[in-house]
Amino acid sequence: MSRVSSWARLSFALQRWELLLVIAGSAILVALMLWVALQARAVVAVDPTCFGADGGGAACQRLSEQFSGLADLGSRLLYGSYAAPFGMGLVLGVPLVAREVDHGTASVAWTLARSRIGWLAPRIAFVALVVIGLLAAIAVASDLMAPAIQPDRNLAADFTWYGRRGGLIVMRGLLSLGIGLAIGAMFGRQLPALLVAIFATVAIFTAVSFGMDQWLEADATPTSYGVDIGGGKQLGERIQLPDGRLVTWTELYPDGAMSIAIQGDGMVYTADANGIATDPVGSIQALIVPGELYPSFVLRESAILGGLALLLGGLAFLVVQRRRPY
Amino acid sequence: MSQTEPVLEARALAKRYRRGVWALGGIDLAIPQGGITALVGPNAAGKSTLIKTWVGFERPTRGGVTVAGIDPWKDRSGALAHLGYVPQSPSLYDALSVDDHLAMAVQLRPGFDRATAAGRLDQLGIPLSAPARQLSGGQQAQVALALALGTRAEILLLDEPLASLDPLARREFLHVLTDAVRTDGATALLSSHIVTDVEQACDRLVVLGVGRVLLHSTVADALASHRISAAGDEPIAGGAPVATFAGPTSEPLTLVRLSQPLPEDGLRAANLEEVVMGYLASARVVPGQAAA
Repeated sequence: MSRVSSWARLSFALQRWELLLVIAGSAILVALMLWVALQARAVVAVDPTCFGADGGGAACQRLSEQFSGLADLGSRLLYGSYAAPFGMGLVLGVPLVAREVDHGTASVAWTLARSRIGWLAPRIAFVALVVIGLLAAIAVASDLMAPAIQPDRNLAADFTWYGRRGGLIVMRGLLSLGIGLAIGAMFGRQLPALLVAIFATVAIFTAVSFGMDQWLEADATPTSYGVDIGGGKQLGERIQLPDGRLVTWTELYPDGAMSIAIQGDGMVYTADANGIATDPVGSIQALIVPGELYPSFVLRESAILGGLALLLGGLAFLVVQRRRPY
Repeated sequence: MSQTEPVLEARALAKRYRRGVWALGGIDLAIPQGGITALVGPNAAGKSTLIKTWVGFERPTRGGVTVAGIDPWKDRSGALAHLGYVPQSPSLYDALSVDDHLAMAVQLRPGFDRATAAGRLDQLGIPLSAPARQLSGGQQAQVALALALGTRAEILLLDEPLASLDPLARREFLHVLTDAVRTDGATALLSSHIVTDVEQACDRLVVLGVGRVLLHSTVADALASHRISAAGDEPIAGGAPVATFAGPTSEPLTLVRLSQPLPEDGLRAANLEEVVMGYLASARVVPGQAAA
């Protein structure tokens, strides 16, 4: 047996239950997504005209209901592809070092191996390959399913279901793995490490999301209230004053006190004591990043997540080098 | 490295843990090459800390240690290349079989002698296919020892591996250890608080108490140069009392150190347990902690 296959077999045995869990979960998710994709395409293929503007009739109604059911299931499955990278990364990342320290096996492994890096690197490589492989399968399946349940949109240039489809799923998994690994190495106890890693994951991804939105704001264009934004991503809203300036609510009412009335068309008025609109203040404008920027947005976030994952992997190496094995 | 150079050395080694407790209070110790040295002392004497400092797990607060002349904190890989280590609890992977442990050792340690390790386990009737979690405590300790011996390291550090074993398992463990050390010409340091068990197996004795080395000599010298004086015995010339401690029936016994062996000194020879008890009493350590 070659060195690599022997190490892979041992690495699998050491995390057998977590690996079986994530493999089974991923397999079920991928299978369901592919099934939905095939079924949705088959339903549309029966009579494509039913899904156009002129669709009607009892037969079309039945097909339409069938398609809606599949689209609904597909949308729910995309929650799975959203959660998968976080769950997988933490479930596999936290025990990598924490369990060894927790169970005392690190004392033996770290003295058998002359270099702790030499011990940790292949372990990480194996788990990272599993994470990449499984999440890539989910990413591909989601990319096949999403257009099948949204046939009228060009999802290649569309922020719909952002982070629930495509390559970003893999990068999110790698960052979660890095978070779990680093915190597991620091704590050396599985349960506390898992709890802290969950909080850290929420905090880091929230910060990344906030940072990305700030970064993208320069590319956003103000769009009037109620206008179809297509595949664009809304970053927030501003009030456009009569002189054309865009301000935030806080800038408009710094002391927080405001008495306004908002009309259905997005126009903002001051309001009297009865809530009746009086003088116009401005109009609400949504800040929209056009859907065409979706690929570059994904690329930018992937690079950031990959960089953070490498950073946390490096931190884990540093911790393992310096910490006690108990 | 020459025969006379120590393979394990501690120089003014002091170790204080974060909570402010001093585990070692500045000890000097040199373990020569070859044979088995027993590191004996009560709980919290600093035995594990000393061993873990040699393994590179603990950083000295003051002073330093060397393994085959290498400072493990500065060159951990270099020091580990000379070391085989058996921790206090066997610490095997529950999910792996015995054979998997050997396979892992082959992966981790260049030159790991799988055949020898497997052969030793086979002699003890430990099935290689057995999952580690199904092994008895004694069998797990034997697997841990086989892993250390398979490294073919010239220095073996064993951190109280006998503590949780029954008498038969302890005897088997010591038999395998002495056999391996004598066959391979290795140096072993075996920490224990069970004096009677290590008496048969060890060539040298280090008594550690309250973070200090209280005695370091060969077992033969320790036995030859100490006597027991009971109440009413005449003091002997050339003998210095080490300490008085309670005997098996609570009678006060005094350990006397001879400056030179006296053929007829009128006192009975001390056994190893009494030597250890005497030195631990000299450090004002509760005597009952030292013996099995």
